[in-house]
Order: sequence, then structure tokens, then C-alpha cells
Amino acid sequence: MADQRDHGVAPVLVLGLGNLLLKDDGVGLELLKRLEPDFVDDPRVEFVDGGTQGLALAPYLPNRCAMLILDAVALGTEPGDVHHLPDARSTPATRSTTAHEGNASELLAAATLIGECPETVALVGIEPDDVSTGIGLTERVQSALPRALKLAKDTLGTLIQPE
Amino acid sequence: MASKRIVVDPVTRIEGHLRIEAMLGDDGVIADAMSSGTMWRGIEVILKGRDPRDAWAFTQRICGVCTTVHALASIRSVENALSIKVPKNADIIRNIMFLTQMVQDHVVHFYHLHALDWVDVVSALSADPKATAELNQAISPSWPMSSPGYFSDVKATLQRFVESGQLGIFANAYWGHPAYKLPAEANLMAVAHYLEALKWQKELVKIHTVFGGKNPHPNYLVGGMPCAIDLDSDNAINIERLNMVKRLIQEAKAIVEQLYIPDLLAIASFYKDWAGIGGGLGNYMTYGDIPQAGVDRPEHFRFPRGAILGKNLGEVLPLDPTDTTQIREEVSHSWYDYPAGEPALHPWEGVTEPNYTGPKPPYKQLDENAAYSWLKTPRWRGNAMEVGPLARMLVGYASGREEFKAVVDPVLAKLEVPATALFSTLGRTAARGLETQLGVQWLMEEYENLIANLKAGDYATANTDLWEPSSWPREAKGFGFTEAPRGALGHWVHIKDGKIENYQAVVPSTWNASPRDADGGHGAYEAALVGTPVADPEKPVEILRTIHSFDPCLACASHVFGPDGRKLAEVVVR
Repeated sequence: MADQRDHGVAPVLVLGLGNLLLKDDGVGLELLKRLEPDFVDDPRVEFVDGGTQGLALAPYLPNRCAMLILDAVALGTEPGDVHHLPDARSTPATRSTTAHEGNASELLAAATLIGECPETVALVGIEPDDVSTGIGLTERVQSALPRALKLAKDTLGTLIQPE
Repeated sequence: MASKRIVVDPVTRIEGHLRIEAMLGDDGVIADAMSSGTMWRGIEVILKGRDPRDAWAFTQRICGVCTTVHALASIRSVENALSIKVPKNADIIRNIMFLTQMVQDHVVHFYHLHALDWVDVVSALSADPKATAELNQAISPSWPMSSPGYFSDVKATLQRFVESGQLGIFANAYWGHPAYKLPAEANLMAVAHYLEALKWQKELVKIHTVFGGKNPHPNYLVGGMPCAIDLDSDNAINIERLNMVKRLIQEAKAIVEQLYIPDLLAIASFYKDWAGIGGGLGNYMTYGDIPQAGVDRPEHFRFPRGAILGKNLGEVLPLDPTDTTQIREEVSHSWYDYPAGEPALHPWEGVTEPNYTGPKPPYKQLDENAAYSWLKTPRWRGNAMEVGPLARMLVGYASGREEFKAVVDPVLAKLEVPATALFSTLGRTAARGLETQLGVQWLMEEYENLIANLKAGDYATANTDLWEPSSWPREAKGFGFTEAPRGALGHWVHIKDGKIENYQAVVPSTWNASPRDADGGHGAYEAALVGTPVADPEKPVEILRTIHSFDPCLACASHVFGPDGRKLAEVVVR
């Protein structure tokens, strides 16, 4: 039931995920907020605060060439480590590595099943330190933001202009 | 007595973390059960000291599924505390957003979470596309996509998906279990409609974007709705936008009437034994919703307010969530501390003080005689209550509302079951569908009400007379409510000196998934599991059927993330 409003979307989607109420779990949304101003007038990219949503984010995926997910990624390494998954579609690690219920892998699987998943899905995230109830990032994650931001910006650059 | 203990942790295809322990008797029937929320969240603590006008924006981040319902309950609680009356358009727009979410959520629950308890996806691979087409045409003649070629294509898609090894969203189910009773063709039809529903579900919520400015976190406003409407303007919600809303409602109506309801009835006809399983408490409670004459007049809600005790459809008891003697939360079996000498507290006096006394994870089993859950134990006049679609349909039905009878009675007749069949797992699942049928009708009526009101010249969407804290009383208490897809949701706020002094949310899954009370009385899940036969304790699909029939959402009832966040479903039998 796609209609005209679905066409003409920006070819690249940047999707921030996370729960603002669970400290470091909200790091993806903080990255989103800091990345967006650099691309504010760029018609090739759209920024969406996905919160902890899962399937409800499906409307944002169709007709995109690429997607960059920004998220807390708990791989069990040192808190503050910056993780980069250039191909999140085929990396099983994207399954349940995020701290919130909106399961990015479920979203990707569902979108794949109906043929609406972007061809390229990259992920940039930070290993959380503390995901207990509270607002604001821990120091270790806070200090990793510049590195993650640079990585996210570079990744987005290549997604916008694929070689 | 119990010879085996089945542990399902976490229960999959739900939001949040839920652990079920079921004690199986020698006869293979569940003799007792425990429901435990295994993670703590504690949103209430975050809200203390904040501006009550901002509370909705925080509460809508509690849950990954129900953003809008928490926002709605929150703004209503503040408006109630400050005696703010919202304009008629605001009530109608909120009703439209509420119904949009309910319809979308119920369809997604049926096809993408619950159907897999009844539909064997792998069996669909052996279906005959031609026979499937005939089946579909028989049960839903007006649904356009029912040719043998269409079902051939779906079968091929499914085949590729299964062969790729990425079962993904179809993983964690008990394919091939003898409890699956549908013929292969019915399974293929259901899988096809799973895909159609998946494509459609993302359309309907565009209504939230129209009225809420953005999605997935639409804007709400204490005092009304933050949207300007001008039928002829380019800078407001205009007639073009409203026409899109109408089209989306029409599409939803087709999906519900031509896909969901026929599929529900077709599947139910193979599982009529489940009309005698999973009833549980027999106590039902609703706060009601969809106001037609303001939130202060529940007698004019489309979903009436009330309580039913002991399956007695002859009497709907009045309920007042602001009466501090009625709704009270206990913590006798929860990991919380209450002030000394307080066995139970009304939410306005509620305290959220965590005190974990359970075993150190990973543990083998919980102790039903001690604290065993992060959920509190809410009770209404001391009674454990079930909330949700079944409660709403029964309260509506027992209140004598014709609209409710008009959707319930034909289904009972068609399935050839008595009204008592509603008190069951199947009844719960059917009630959700019937409520969705009412939901799409009401959605169109609310849309028409909005248009009529606009055409009469009323464009007001917000009342900001009492926006400034200087206009508020020094201290005030309020109650906000909604009927979330999963059931009665209440927010209780205590405002002091312009700030939040206390905030408590009692969410639907806290009612349904609550642990025992001080008297040992079971919560709704626990009661519903008792008496359920389990064919294979290693693959307890029967437990999932009943628990999923409630549509659990523990995300807002408790915290979701643990060190075992990557763990897939685990069933342990001891």
C-alpha cells in the first residue's frame, strides 16, 4: 500500500535508538542530537529519534539506500568502547545487544521479510557502563562521545556518497 | 502435588522480561503457577521534582510499544489535578490517536506475536496453494489477494526465508508440536496475512504524525493538543491531511473486517477446547475511555468504567480510582519496602523503594512464599482483577451496551459456544479481535465528529488558561487514565509548589502479571495457568498460549535490561 508520500524520501536514514530513562542506554539519541546539526540542510539524509520502538519504526525504512543506526551496543567489552558494525544486516551481534525492548534485529528481520530493508545498514555505538534508571550518560560513555561522533560522521559520509 | 516445575524465562514475543514458573501435577495439569517480573525500572523516581507539564514526555519513553497511552494518562492526571478542561476537539483528537494505537497494536499482536502460538509456520510449506486460495475465498470473499498464484509466491518467499537459516522472527517457537491443529492450508493463509499485516501496520500510525506532529513520539500538551487546524491553510492540519486520515481509517477497516476477523474465527474454530482453558480469576476491571462528554463523565465513555466479580455478568460494580480505599498496592511478594505498618497503599501515597531479597541470579527457582517479583500487587477492594480487551468487552456487554452485544453475540453463535466460553484463553484472544472491530467503527465516527465540529466553526484545540504554575493551587492531586491495548492504565500525580511531589503509574501488566497478595491470592496470569494441561513439559506451548492471550508488556511494569540481555528463550524443567 505504498503511496506517493513514500517516494522522495532521503536516501539515507540515521536512526537513533535507546531509552533516555536508562542512563547510557540513551547514548544513541545523544549521538543523533550531536550529528544532526552538521547535516541539517542535506536533503540526502533524514534523522529519526526512534526511542525504544521496534516494529513501529518500519515506516521509516522503505525506499532508502542505506541506514545508519546509532545505539548503545553491549558486546561485553570495556565501557566506553566505540563499536562500528559496517554491515549490521549480516552481523548476528545486532541481535539483542541493545538494552531496550525495541529490538533492532527484529525490525531488520521484519523489513527484510517484506523486502523493505535498506541495502546497507551500518551501526555505530558505544559500550554502556550503566543502564540503570536515570537520565544522563556516565563519564566513561560521555568521554567516548567525540570518537563515536567522528566515526558516525565518517560512516555517514560514505553512505551518502557510496564509492 | 506438583511433580515437575516448568520454568520459562524469559517468555518470548512480549515486551520486557517475564518469568513463569509452573508446577505440573502428576496428571500433566498445571497445579500452581508463579509470575515474576525480573527487572526493575522505577520511572516514578525519575519524575520527582520535575515540572508536571513535562511528565508526559518522560512517561512516553517508558515503553517501546505504548508511547501514546502513557502520554495520554499523564496529561490527564495533571489536568485532573489542576481542574483543566480541554476543548472538545482535543478530546476527539485524543480519541482518534488512542483508537489508532489500539487498532494497530491489536492487529500486530494477533499476527506477529500471538498467531505463532496457533499457526505452524513450517507446516505452511506443505500447503497446496490452490486449496489455500479456495479456503481464503470461502472465509473472506471480499479480500482481493486470494489467488493460487499469490499463495504460490508467498510459499516460495517463506521457503527461501526458512532455507536461508534466518528464521529470525519465526525463531523460538515449537514448530511441529502436536498442539498445532490447523491444516497446512490454513497455516499458509495465516503466514500470508502475517506479511500483509506487517506491510499495513506501518501505514495506520501515520495518523499520529498528522495530529502529533511527529512519530514515533507524538507531541501531547497539558490542556489540549498541540496542533493547529485550519481546513484551508497550508500551515496547519488542513482538509488534505484530514482526507488522508480518512483514507487510512478506511484501509484499517478493510484489514480488520476482511483479514483479522475472518482469520481469527477460522483459527478459533480449530481450537475450541481453549474456550474451556485459561479463564483464571473471573474478576474484570476497566477505567473506561473514549469520552464523549469530557473525561469527568464516565457514563458517556464508549468503553464504560466498572468491575465484574466472580464472572457475574448480571452486575457491573461502580469503581472510583480516586477513592483511596479501593485501589491499593501491596508488596508482600515484591522486592520493595513499604513504611512500617503499611500493608497496602493507594497510588497517591505510593512508595517505590526497591529492596531485592531474591536469590542471586542465575537461580533455579523462586519461592512463592517470599518476595518473588519486581511487580507490586495491585488489588481493587482486595480483589485481584484482570484488565484488558476481555475485561472491556465484558464490562460493555454486561452494562447492556448494544454495540458490544452486536459484535459478541454473532461470534458466539458462529462458533456455537455459550457466553461462558468468553472466560478463557480463547475468549481473551477473541475479545481483542471484537474490540478491534468496534475500534475501526469508532475511529470513523470520531473522525466524522471532528469534521462536524470543525465545520461548525470550532477550531480550538488547547486551553492554556492555567498553563502558568502561578495559577495553580499550592498543592493538588490528580488521576489520569486510559484503556491501553493491554488494559486499564492509571497515572496518579501529586503536585506541590509547581513540582511533582509523587508520581505513580499502575500499568495493565502489573494487574495481570502481579504476584500473590498477602492472603496468597493469585494474580491473573497465575490463576489463568492453573488447570492447564501441558502435553510436553519441554515444549510448553500451552503456557505461551495463555500468557500471550493477555498480550503482556512488562517493559513499563518493570526494567528490561540485564546482563543476560542476549539470552534467548529458555525453558527449564525440573
